[in-house]
Amino acid sequence: MSDPSPATPSPGAPAGVIHDIGYRHYDGPRTGRGPAAAALAVHTLRGVFGLGRPARAKIIPFLLAGVMMLPAVVSIAAMAAIQQRATGYTEYAVIMQAVLAIFLAAQAPYTVAPDLRFRVLPLYLSRPVTLRDYVGAKLAAMTVAMLLLQAVPLTTLFIGELVVDMPGPPRTAEYLASMAGAVGNAVLLACIGVAVASFTPRRGLGVAAVISLYLLASGVSGVVAATMEATNHYDAAAWAWLINPFFLVDAAVQVGIFGAEPSGPGAYPTGIGVPAAITIMLGLIALSVTALVIRYRKAASR
Amino acid sequence: MTILATKGLSRRFPRVTALDRLTVAVGPGVTGLVGANGAGKSTLIKILLGLLEPSEGTAQVLGMDVTAQGAEIRRVVGYMPEHDCLPPDLSATEFTVHLARMSGLPRTAARERAADVLRHVGLYEERYRAMGGYSTGMKQRVKLAQALVHDPKLVFLDEPTNGLDPQGRDEMLALIRRIGTEFGISVLVTSHLLGELERICDHVIVIDGGTLLRSSAISEFTQSTQTVTVEVEEGRDALAARLAERGETVTAAGRTLLVEVRAPQTYDTLRDAVCDLDLCLIRMEQGRQRIEDVFKEPADV
Repeated sequence: MSDPSPATPSPGAPAGVIHDIGYRHYDGPRTGRGPAAAALAVHTLRGVFGLGRPARAKIIPFLLAGVMMLPAVVSIAAMAAIQQRATGYTEYAVIMQAVLAIFLAAQAPYTVAPDLRFRVLPLYLSRPVTLRDYVGAKLAAMTVAMLLLQAVPLTTLFIGELVVDMPGPPRTAEYLASMAGAVGNAVLLACIGVAVASFTPRRGLGVAAVISLYLLASGVSGVVAATMEATNHYDAAAWAWLINPFFLVDAAVQVGIFGAEPSGPGAYPTGIGVPAAITIMLGLIALSVTALVIRYRKAASR
Repeated sequence: MTILATKGLSRRFPRVTALDRLTVAVGPGVTGLVGANGAGKSTLIKILLGLLEPSEGTAQVLGMDVTAQGAEIRRVVGYMPEHDCLPPDLSATEFTVHLARMSGLPRTAARERAADVLRHVGLYEERYRAMGGYSTGMKQRVKLAQALVHDPKLVFLDEPTNGLDPQGRDEMLALIRRIGTEFGISVLVTSHLLGELERICDHVIVIDGGTLLRSSAISEFTQSTQTVTVEVEEGRDALAARLAERGETVTAAGRTLLVEVRAPQTYDTLRDAVCDLDLCLIRMEQGRQRIEDVFKEPADV
């Protein structure tokens, strides 16, 4: 070989030399749609908690996650100090519903709005990822985020209870019912939140839309139920509570399927009420997903 | 070998016909797709990516049918859209790595490829900064990098020189030429300026109103009409007369003269004539052929 060997540099040569090795082709493995969609979901989930984003993007999610932990911490302290339970499992999400709603409103628009606003969507669609993978990954990320927000304090509380060793058997059934409720809440809230947020490319508008929807639902539910109770229409009042999504999931999953005590301020409809609540919940999820898919079909054709 | 081929390809929207029975075949190398705004360039690219269904006709990319094998096509092609597509709060590195993963590259390979490709398009230290503060030239480079990051066999570049200043335009064109030759990646590049594609393409396709106007190798374009524009301070007519005397074909156009280049000697004749007449030469410019010139010519190829 006539090439001068780079292994023996002459004494005067600079120590570090950048060699232009030219363009290199990639012939390593290429994964399919599945792992790419999973990577998108993980990327989005990290982003929801502000990981991989500037420090200011971490403040709200971690602050709210910290607030979610407070009842669990207080309850563990109460159990250890005075042998009393401060918070139950199934009522956890209902008590903390405002925090969950704020988290949803603050973070759901992040998952969808920037890609629409800055028109990144065509870059995804020109790759193996399909529209359905994209929507699925975004929904999965938001669902897992909402689930983590509830499951971490609930599990901490349960572990705390086991460690403190309260008199009587551990309330495992209640814990499991609350975890099922957490899954129900996470799926329903994530679907509605992402669907509503996807209709505007502006993040601020998305935040306002989601939070107003929650305030509207909980307000209407409270006012209608109170009016009905005042006029002695207790059946109608029970149905009115279901307008609030947190009470709907409580009625459908925790009370309906697991037979827990209702955590709302009033009773839920009985008899046909349980299957009806489950149907409404599944219907809302289906409606949100359909709206999302239609929205993205339109966005993709631009 | 054909990289892409369409046959009777049409796409009708409710109110307009974007493509009308277009039949073209493109070989490897750099191919220019020229047309005015609304000529159907972007629609054609979307169909070739399998994102838009053709109303009728068929199209194949790298031997794969666009309607049946869209997903496989999208694995091996890259796409640089015409519009802005960069989130301002991400850095070029983060963005390119993420899109490499979306193309199916494993994490470490995605990082390596992103670093490589960003270097090739000419982004160095600035690639760690948020893209919101980038100039148009840097943004165009990132858009190009994300199209190349998964080492495609073919890239579609939609108006890559849009919004660039003359120097940025030259650098971008040189880069595209390198992609087609040195990198060995076939390129389909659109523009509405035939003049700039002339410099980098092997083959040019001209479409208008969704129909094929002309498809031919670049040499055929440049041979037929090479002109040089000459502007002198005074004595334009004298120069025209002198050149005509020497057997050159000269036409007056406003303050300038258009001289047809028959052979390289034309330039010598021109230089001598200007010197002999002792004229003040303001500019001498290679004739830029524009789409309009092609429109005037018979589309015989």
